[in-house]
Amino acid sequence: MNTLQLQLLLDASKVTLGLALVSLFVGLLLAILFCAAEMQKKSLISKAVSLLVTVLRGLPEILVVFFVFYGGTHFLFLLTNEFYNISPFWSGVLALSLIFAAYASQTLRAAIQSVPAGQQQAAQALGMGPLRCFLRIVLPQAWRLALPGLGNQWMVLLKDTALVSLIGVTDLMKQADLLSGSTYKPFTFLIVAAGIYLFITVLSQWLLKHIERYLNRSNPIDSEVTQ
Amino acid sequence: MTLEHFWLLFTGLATTLEITFFSLLFGSILAALMTLALINKTPILSQLARLVILFFTGTPLLIQIFLVYSGPSQFEWIRASWLWDYLSQAQICAIIALAFNTAAYSSLLFRGAIEAVPTGDWLACKALGMNRLQTLSVIVPHALRRVLPSYSNEVILVLKGTSLASSITIMDVMGYANQINGQTYDAIMAFSAAGIIYLVMNASLAFMFKLLEKRALRFQSK
Repeated sequence: MNTLQLQLLLDASKVTLGLALVSLFVGLLLAILFCAAEMQKKSLISKAVSLLVTVLRGLPEILVVFFVFYGGTHFLFLLTNEFYNISPFWSGVLALSLIFAAYASQTLRAAIQSVPAGQQQAAQALGMGPLRCFLRIVLPQAWRLALPGLGNQWMVLLKDTALVSLIGVTDLMKQADLLSGSTYKPFTFLIVAAGIYLFITVLSQWLLKHIERYLNRSNPIDSEVTQ
Repeated sequence: MTLEHFWLLFTGLATTLEITFFSLLFGSILAALMTLALINKTPILSQLARLVILFFTGTPLLIQIFLVYSGPSQFEWIRASWLWDYLSQAQICAIIALAFNTAAYSSLLFRGAIEAVPTGDWLACKALGMNRLQTLSVIVPHALRRVLPSYSNEVILVLKGTSLASSITIMDVMGYANQINGQTYDAIMAFSAAGIIYLVMNASLAFMFKLLEKRALRFQSK
């Protein structure tokens, strides 16, 4: 492997990281939406979102990616009778963030529900409005509880980004595959790419551990329990 | 999309289930061995198990499948050996990759379950003068029951993971869905039909594990 080939792999890693970070951002927004919708009691929208979340969790990730990419093109064709080339990158972002949100919304909901009701009642008794109470009292506590779960889902998301190589995004996986094909050295390039993925996941794990420790700094007993 | 296409998807289901079954079979055996090495802190073997866990939980499954499928062809000595008869078959490669992948995740679950068995149980075995093997024969059944709920998730992850085998030319449900999409350009129907098959399979697996859990965890149901 020469430096040019290494450079190609490193450039492709940036695509992978970019894809993962954009999907994380969109996915978190979607997760908050899903979570809010599911917490509406006995409404049609909460049932619809619950169904969507269940379906997304039961489907293979690659099927969701293909459905968004090929199904999206097909859908636009049915709608307008013309072929559009939809961007593989953004199809990937949509698919990955939907999958992320399906899992993350459950983590968020569980975290919000495990903040003791007394906390909200106390805030109410002190004259806080519902929005202020949610933002100042519930969210900061729920956030800490949700972080370990969200961290795991980030790791899953990072590994799932490799799937977009199958719809033509030149990410780390695709670049490794292209280089294997052109050099007849598949093992070398795939193992180096795997090493880069491993580096990113181990680094994320390390960062998350420190963030968790920081968030729980005022609560040493809790942080011992969660570790 | 015609009725014939639906039958094709069902043909693929046989392959999907076959890969799932063998991956889980080999994966759970490997996971049990790795867990033993980890809890006994066997030198070399426990470090090896740790390395396998780090690699297979830290990298994407797709790259693992590609690595097993196309990696060995780089080495002349592998191509010349008897191993090549097996490693040149896509289905075997998919099973190897998935088995190692699920073994890595399940050995973490198994170890967690064994560590969750109360210390009193270990001490009781010690007090009765049991040796290591006898002690494990008491502890493991307890741990196995408690690991069921989280292992059922792992089984579903493996079934979902088999769909990646289609990327190395295997015609499973996903493989046929791709083929139908390529032939008919009816992406929405092709992938929806495949999706329904996966959903039904996952729902039935989840249901079966629920029943199993109910039986295995009867003792704590009150």
